[in-house]
Amino acid sequence: MGIYKFIGLLVTLMSASIVEARPISWTGGSTIMYKSNSMMSSYYYHYSPSFKYSVGAEYINDRYYNDQYISIRSTYLLDRKNTKASQRNLYLTASISTKSNDDLYYGVHGDWETRRYFASFSILDKRASQKDYTENEFQIGIAPYLGEYNQLHTWIMLKSKEDTRDDKWKTYPFIKLFKGDFLLEVGSKESHWDLHFMKRF
Amino acid sequence: MYKIIILTTLFVSNNLYAMDNMHDHNSKQHDHNSHVAVDGSKTELDDAMYNKFVSDLGSSQVVIVDVNGMVCDFCARGIEKTFYDDALVKRVLVSLETGKVLIAYDNAKKVDFGEIKNIFLSNGQSATGMTLKKIT
Repeated sequence: MGIYKFIGLLVTLMSASIVEARPISWTGGSTIMYKSNSMMSSYYYHYSPSFKYSVGAEYINDRYYNDQYISIRSTYLLDRKNTKASQRNLYLTASISTKSNDDLYYGVHGDWETRRYFASFSILDKRASQKDYTENEFQIGIAPYLGEYNQLHTWIMLKSKEDTRDDKWKTYPFIKLFKGDFLLEVGSKESHWDLHFMKRF
Repeated sequence: MYKIIILTTLFVSNNLYAMDNMHDHNSKQHDHNSHVAVDGSKTELDDAMYNKFVSDLGSSQVVIVDVNGMVCDFCARGIEKTFYDDALVKRVLVSLETGKVLIAYDNAKKVDFGEIKNIFLSNGQSATGMTLKKIT
C-alpha cells in the first residue's frame, strides 16, 4: 500500500485532466467512447485485463492544432476504498501518441461517489510537439433521485476545467445520464457543446 | 526524457499489476483452504425483494451477498455479466438500494464465498458477507 501512495504522490507532484467515468472496466470488460468539445473530438476503445488496469487506443481529431493522430493509453488503479455507502478511486494514466516522439501525457484522476453525490478531479500534463500544456478538471454532481438497478440514472453536474493554452478556468453545468450499459454526458460552454458517450460490453 | 517517464510508469504499473495478481492468487488459495468464515450477520433480507426473486425459481440455492462500493448502476454492470458466465447460475438480482446481490444457483453448484468475493473484486466492489438459503 505504501508504494501505491508514494507513486500517486509522486505523479501528483510532477504532473498536473480529463475526468472519465470509470477509466477501467470489470475484468475482461471493454468500453467504447466518443467525446467532443471545443478543442477536440475522439473515439476511444479500451480493454481491461484486470479491474486494476486498462489499455486502449484513441483516435483524436485535434481542433486546436487541426491535427489527427492515434494515442495509446494505459490506466492503472492505484487505490480503491469501498464502503457500504461510497466508493473512492485513484488512477494513474499515461499515453503515448503516434504523432511524434514528443507527444505524450501522464497524470492522475481521482473520484469519490455515493448514490447521491459525486466528486472528481483530474490532472493531465501534456507534452505536445507544438506546445506543452496542462489540463486540470474538477467535477461535482448530485443525483436528484436515487434510481434502482436497470433504471435511468440522472446526475446534475458542474465541471470546472482549465486548459493552459487558454490560460483560464471555465466552469459550466452538464447533465449525465446512464441506463444499462450506456452513458451520455451533455454540457455546453461558450456556445460549444461538450459531449461524451460511452458503452460498456 | 518524458518518454522515459511514461515507459517507466507503464513498466511500474505492469509490475504492480503482476504483484496484485500474485496476491489475489494467494488469497484464493487461502480462501479455499480455510473453508471461508462467512459473516452473514449483517445480511437483512427484504422479504418482498426475496419473494419476487425466488418465484418460479424451482429447487435452487439462493445466495444473498452484502456488497460494499456498489453505489453506481453503470459500475455494477459487470456483476450480472460475470455471474452469468457460470452455467450453474440461474438468476441474478442487483439491488443498489440495499447494497445486496441475490444469486440463484443450481443445486449442483458448490457455493464458495471465496469465489464470490473474487467475482465482486474483479468488478470493483467488495463482498462482505453472505447468507445461503435452500429453495425446495
